[in-house]
Amino acid sequence: MKLRVAQKVHYNAGPNMTPLVDVVMVILIFLMLCGSFVGSEHFLVSNLPISQSGLGKVAPPAGFIPDEPIEIRVDSHGQGQFIATAGKIQTSDPAGLTDQLRKMRLALNRAGKNEDQMQVKIGPGKNVKYQQLVQVYEAALSAGYKKVAFARSH
Amino acid sequence: MKKKQRRRMPPISEGVVNVTPLIDIVMCLIIFFMLVAKIGVDTGVDRTIAIPASVLGTDIKLMDVPNSLTLNMKTGLANEPAVTALLKGSLAELKLNDGRGHNPLSESLKFFRYGQDLAPGGWGINADNPAFNVNIRGDREMDYRYLEPVLLACAEANVKTVNFSTEQVVERN
Repeated sequence: MKLRVAQKVHYNAGPNMTPLVDVVMVILIFLMLCGSFVGSEHFLVSNLPISQSGLGKVAPPAGFIPDEPIEIRVDSHGQGQFIATAGKIQTSDPAGLTDQLRKMRLALNRAGKNEDQMQVKIGPGKNVKYQQLVQVYEAALSAGYKKVAFARSH
Repeated sequence: MKKKQRRRMPPISEGVVNVTPLIDIVMCLIIFFMLVAKIGVDTGVDRTIAIPASVLGTDIKLMDVPNSLTLNMKTGLANEPAVTALLKGSLAELKLNDGRGHNPLSESLKFFRYGQDLAPGGWGINADNPAFNVNIRGDREMDYRYLEPVLLACAEANVKTVNFSTEQVVERN
């Protein structure tokens, strides 16, 4: 018995796309497996990786004015917390630290110093986690400082 | 006057699957993947390391990738960080002290910064590269005591720029 539907099938409808689809699918799977994607990662750029005395063997030029140091002491407080001490305040909140650092920067601006003449030195304890340091570093950048460096551990 | 001929749509036949929309979508996907994927460019990134997160940051497109060396860092043994980097096409471990009085990390940084003579000045294979920069991909749970010697090694090699690689966090108001 012959089916009526089978009689209606018309195969000569154009070019055969099957090999193209096969190749394209292989390329797609290859790209999906081999590609490493960008976009979820970025960088905190530091032109002053670590601030220390004694390593530089070059004498400063005549008339050299050192940057105004702003020191942030960072200590580990357990349970993923840190305590940052900047000026007269102690905080474990990055937003609070940003506010305090911003106030300090504005005070220095009023005293005639611009951002290029200030240097933030983050002095972490040996046990402070890298994530916490990044938070402090980010707080300093958010407060408008351009020169942020890590200091030797205490 | 010639009568304008109307084009007719080809007869739709039963039993044939129309693959045109499929090809359209697949082509779009291929173009997307080709644009966003970096194929064959290995910067020595260790994807197993959980890097810290930050809102601020500079996009990789603005970075000087050809002049950079990526240092993968995590907590190591005996107060030393476990540092790996892509050297000569493969991921190599860079110790702070190899037991023979050498500091492979510092020497590698000096090699990229100052050339084969590991000292300032020179030309050709000994030429300096002032644009050389280091990307640090550190484990977020790593203590500062592991990061500190690496930063000191960078300072010793006179590396001007050190970039801390972080996971991008989108700030929501």
